[in-house]
Amino acid sequence: MAKRKPSKRSEEVREKEAEVRASILSHYMVPKHEVLSPEEAQELLRRYKVVPQQLPYILLSDPVVRELGAKVGDIIRITRDSPTAGKSVYYRVVVKGAEG
Amino acid sequence: MIKGEVAAVKFGIMSPDLIRKMSVAEIQNPDTYDEDGAPIPTGVMDPRLGTLEPGQRCKTCGNTYLSCPGHFGHIELPVPVIHIGFVKIIHELLRATCRACGRILLKDSRIEHYRRVLDELRAGTKFFRHIYFKIKAEAFATNSCPHCGEKQYKFELEKPSTFIEQTPQGPVRLSASAVRQRLERIPNEDLVLLDIDPESARPEWMVLTVLPVPPVYVRPSITLETGYRSEDDLTHKLVDILRMTQRLRESINAGAPSPVIAELSDLLQYHVTTYINNETVGIAPAQHRSGRVLKTLAQRLKGKEGRFRLNLSGKRVDFSARTVISPDPNIEIDEVGVPLEIAMQLTVQEAVTPWNIEKLRRMVLNGPDSYPGAKYVVRPDKKMVRLRFVQDLTELANSLEPGWIVERHLMDGDIVLFNRQPSLHRVSIMAHRVKVLPYKTFRLNLAVCTPYNADFDGDEMNLHVPQSEESKAEARLLLQVQNNVISPRYGAPIIGAIRDFLTSLYLLTKDGTLLKKDDLSYLLASIKYDGELPEPEVKSPEPLWSGKQVFSMVLPKGLNHVVSANFNPDDKVVIRDGKLIRGYADKATVGIEKPNSLLHKIAKEYGSEVTAKFLNSTIKLANTYINLRGFTTGITDLIIPESVYEEIREVFSEMWKKYERLRDDYVKGRIVARPGETVEQAFESEILEILSSTRDEVGSKIRAHITPSNQVLIMAKTGARGSTLNIDQMIAVVGQQAVRRERPYRGFINRVLPFFSRGDLSPTAKGFVYSSFIKGLNPIEFFFHMMGGRDGLVDTAVRTQQSGYMQRRLINALESLYVEFDKSVRTSDDKSIVQFLYGEDGVDPSKSYHGRPFSLRSVIESVLPSGKHTSHQEAPPEFVGAIARKYEGLMPPRYLTMLMTEVQESKVPAELVERVFEEGYRRYLNSLVEVADPVGVIAAQSLGEPGTQLTLRTFHFAGVREQSILLGLPRLIEIIDARRVPSTPTMTVTLKEPYSKDLKLARQVARRLQYTTLGEFVGEVRIDLRSGHLLFKLDLELVREHGVSVTEITRIFKNYQAKFEEGMLMVKVPEDVDLHSTEFTNKILNTKIKGIRRVKRAMVKKEGEEYVIVTEGSNLKDLLDVKEVDFSRVKTNDIHEVASVLGIEAARRVIVEEIASVLKEQGLDVDIRHILLLADMMTVRGEVRQIGRHGIVRLKESVLARAAFEVSVQTLIEAAARGEQDYLRGNVERILIGREIPVGTGRVTLLMTYPRLSNNAIGGGNQVGH
Repeated sequence: MAKRKPSKRSEEVREKEAEVRASILSHYMVPKHEVLSPEEAQELLRRYKVVPQQLPYILLSDPVVRELGAKVGDIIRITRDSPTAGKSVYYRVVVKGAEG
Repeated sequence: MIKGEVAAVKFGIMSPDLIRKMSVAEIQNPDTYDEDGAPIPTGVMDPRLGTLEPGQRCKTCGNTYLSCPGHFGHIELPVPVIHIGFVKIIHELLRATCRACGRILLKDSRIEHYRRVLDELRAGTKFFRHIYFKIKAEAFATNSCPHCGEKQYKFELEKPSTFIEQTPQGPVRLSASAVRQRLERIPNEDLVLLDIDPESARPEWMVLTVLPVPPVYVRPSITLETGYRSEDDLTHKLVDILRMTQRLRESINAGAPSPVIAELSDLLQYHVTTYINNETVGIAPAQHRSGRVLKTLAQRLKGKEGRFRLNLSGKRVDFSARTVISPDPNIEIDEVGVPLEIAMQLTVQEAVTPWNIEKLRRMVLNGPDSYPGAKYVVRPDKKMVRLRFVQDLTELANSLEPGWIVERHLMDGDIVLFNRQPSLHRVSIMAHRVKVLPYKTFRLNLAVCTPYNADFDGDEMNLHVPQSEESKAEARLLLQVQNNVISPRYGAPIIGAIRDFLTSLYLLTKDGTLLKKDDLSYLLASIKYDGELPEPEVKSPEPLWSGKQVFSMVLPKGLNHVVSANFNPDDKVVIRDGKLIRGYADKATVGIEKPNSLLHKIAKEYGSEVTAKFLNSTIKLANTYINLRGFTTGITDLIIPESVYEEIREVFSEMWKKYERLRDDYVKGRIVARPGETVEQAFESEILEILSSTRDEVGSKIRAHITPSNQVLIMAKTGARGSTLNIDQMIAVVGQQAVRRERPYRGFINRVLPFFSRGDLSPTAKGFVYSSFIKGLNPIEFFFHMMGGRDGLVDTAVRTQQSGYMQRRLINALESLYVEFDKSVRTSDDKSIVQFLYGEDGVDPSKSYHGRPFSLRSVIESVLPSGKHTSHQEAPPEFVGAIARKYEGLMPPRYLTMLMTEVQESKVPAELVERVFEEGYRRYLNSLVEVADPVGVIAAQSLGEPGTQLTLRTFHFAGVREQSILLGLPRLIEIIDARRVPSTPTMTVTLKEPYSKDLKLARQVARRLQYTTLGEFVGEVRIDLRSGHLLFKLDLELVREHGVSVTEITRIFKNYQAKFEEGMLMVKVPEDVDLHSTEFTNKILNTKIKGIRRVKRAMVKKEGEEYVIVTEGSNLKDLLDVKEVDFSRVKTNDIHEVASVLGIEAARRVIVEEIASVLKEQGLDVDIRHILLLADMMTVRGEVRQIGRHGIVRLKESVLARAAFEVSVQTLIEAAARGEQDYLRGNVERILIGREIPVGTGRVTLLMTYPRLSNNAIGGGNQVGH
């Protein structure tokens, strides 16, 4: 018993963290975020004739980005609930942000 | 002359060499003019700098004062002087570099590292400046030079410009020349790391050795009537500087002791400092002899009256006029009455063609002084001939031929822009057709009062005459009144019938209005009706036509529409096949601000021409009818039987009884205050409830005695003017007067006026007005009424200022946004994307039905004409779904769903379903935004314009007033300011089952959320000196109330061997702590017992079916750990907190929801798309950015755009040090240099070249454009 105690603790902590992250993602105000595949990203940049820097940003430190495990330079597709269109799609490129 | 376009503006610091090279004269003599009034050579007004006298020529370039550009001179300074603007940068440089070798105080490895990081950052198009802060901070912290080993000392900046080094021998003051020497040592490679571009700004240039002297045109001297010359402030200052240099040079040459030199140097420093910026902190501003503070260089640029905002962002223009306005219902809505006098001053260019040559000849012959005449003629060789100076007009008139241009007087039908300030939204400037009229005022139709926010109590308006064909076409197609009937703010008409027109139309169209043939003819003549007369409604004894029939004659053919009336929402107004068959016209039909009105439908579906025609005839008809019938209101409308007043008095005495009961409760302390409320507040709100219910009761008593034909009532109910509340006030009771939304309380000690006894809380003593306006107020009531009135005026004044500044910031932040060809919203400077599809659905609110691309009923009706209901089989849902699927990706899902539901609900037959979707799609496409539309500005205007209507100082009480929430303008400003902490943070905490269903359980959770410290339970603290214990007396009842047990509390303090004995919590004070230490006591008292930090209060509220907890104070993060909480639905109003816990997307959503709820609560209608755009702009950078100089505006790449907004001087100075370049791509910069802006019609150009055009030109060499 004494041996298993520490590992059980950390498991608990891990469980707790997972729970917390899950509750962030399941929050009604957090829309669906997904990382674009390189092909999709290229297609997006081509469609709008832009370089990634011209897209809206999302910080690497953003809770949802951390959850997705996205890297700097990844483009994230966000599917929002829209009061006008019902559903709408937005894209953000992951950047390091001011402090990085 | 060299002609070209400014491609870019580069900022930098001028080197001494450059200043000398640029200079045409060294200025040495402090004197200006000699006795004859001639400028003294080498003096500040040296003739080589340019000349101000009309006759003279410039000694340098030989031009007269009109064409000489002016030339700089220079002053050689005997000692170096620090440029005051660069003090901060110099200070940083001194601290970041070595005092001995001048290298940056970083190890080579760190330098390498930062170089790499900088290169990396620069590779991206957007650049993070924050890295420099890190580099500097690291260098500041280094104590000895990694390159030469020299020990570094602290530098202090003694304001304004003295540097003191803290050496071990004591503080040493660095002279300007010593500073300059140190700066000289800094190598170029190191400067790059310190945010300085050495190519354009070597740091030693920040210490002046030679001062440029601006040309005389920058500082002209004025000759007064008395013959005295008055010099410009800058000249005065230059004279001061020259005097000092002279004295200093003399002293140096005479070998004066160094303290004397130093003192003189300081004086020179003072003069140069004030010459540059006379508002430098820590320095007495230089004054004129009269004591007036001098306006020097920085003051010339700065602020609202500075160069940027007064002369560059806004310019004075030719071809404009201004005069008082007055109403004219007889001109059309898109006309403007222009006084003859003005029409003879303003001109338009008209190119001579074979078709107009005769007309133009006659006008030239008329000359400038008879109307219609002309003022100038432009010959094909571009020479202008001013007709005033032409002797023989006949000859000139005869020599006119195609290719010439005549600048003729303004005439009927010319297109002009009409504007009233403040220009808060797009429709504050619209294009009108000129109608030249006698007298001296501009005349406008009353329908356009609303967009201009104009009335006729002395308002003045401006008029501008577009000159080029391009601008005239643009004005006609985009700016004309009939193209702007639907407001882009809320997607409903903003131009329409108002006031008496509404009254008139109601009276005309209501049931029972019958007209004889002569009256009918009179009305129809006024609208120039030339169609057939319909069959009379009543045929005998004489033919009579109904008002509805008359109104139907102005309706477009075949129109179908149904609306609820404004007069009585239960009454339906039915228009079928272009005939008003039921109901009557009022505000809801032809008025403004009502979505889906008849007017709205016509404007949206019939186009601008029909709209203009409809509005013109409607208004003309209304005007004629009300003149014919007559309408007035008077005292008789306000007379009710005296017996009613008897009843009213009874109501009052009832009220008094209630008041007395309440007061007794209050005095005896029987009033229970709700949590967070004082007893006084509870009493006040109870009283206000009594008072307002009294007024309602009184109102309902009199309303029974107001006949439907009461004229005031008609005005109120048709939406013409006034409300039923106003009627109550006039007839029954004025009611409670408020100062700052409370009953008046200030004045004398504990009473408002000396007629009351102190502490009198009765309605009478606190501003309740029992009288009605018709009965008259007694002096005390009158006084209270005035107090309320004054408060209202003050409030309005404050509000306009606040909302004005908010609007300026909004405009500045969103000004560059436009719609690209792919319908994405981008910034005009670097084309970065803010929205991928405008408003998320691409629909333009000003082409919408209150935000929707179509009205469902209208779509259905167009496919399925009502009445001709073919009783076919209705379409099965699967069939509809299949058709809807075809439009997926073409139309937003929400609109598809709307169509599907509507198709099913109105039982559209299967064969017509396809047509419905086709029609819906067609209308959707028609409602899309126009490419290049400046949607940012429109969003800013739509949010800023209603700002003046928002209330100030509003605290709203959510639910049963247990909690106050900041709302109105202050809250809106708080949101767009992106303040770190909202002033009233609050959460709505949703609970899991069973807590959400059970009030008791919910209360328990709420109690546990509320942050509580030990101190809240403690009555007194005792010190037991013998045992070394602190004893806290606990209020056990309170402890129980909070749902904690004493054992729990004891456990929290177990580290202090806490015990609980005899109602006392005993805490052992540790050995090393003083028993009497208040610090320790407070630490114990502030120990958390339970709850979540920052949650001050938590209350249970019923929301729908479930119980939720509303908190005061917000803390999402810690809420995550509370297991009873259903975190997925928790709400908060703290934007930054959401950004850090839930991410930027959730924060964006909070911004949208918060702004929308503020506007909704205030009853303001703003399309959601404007809010979405604002929220997206605030969050494009991945973090929440403020609307203002520290947020979005700072992100602008253009120096000029930032300088034109706020803190101009500092921005320019920093730009100079960095060697920034401005490529003039954004709107602000373009306006500053006087070019077209890259949004709207400025984005597109005609590709056809001029020679091509003239080859095929008709009539030979017509001028097109410029």
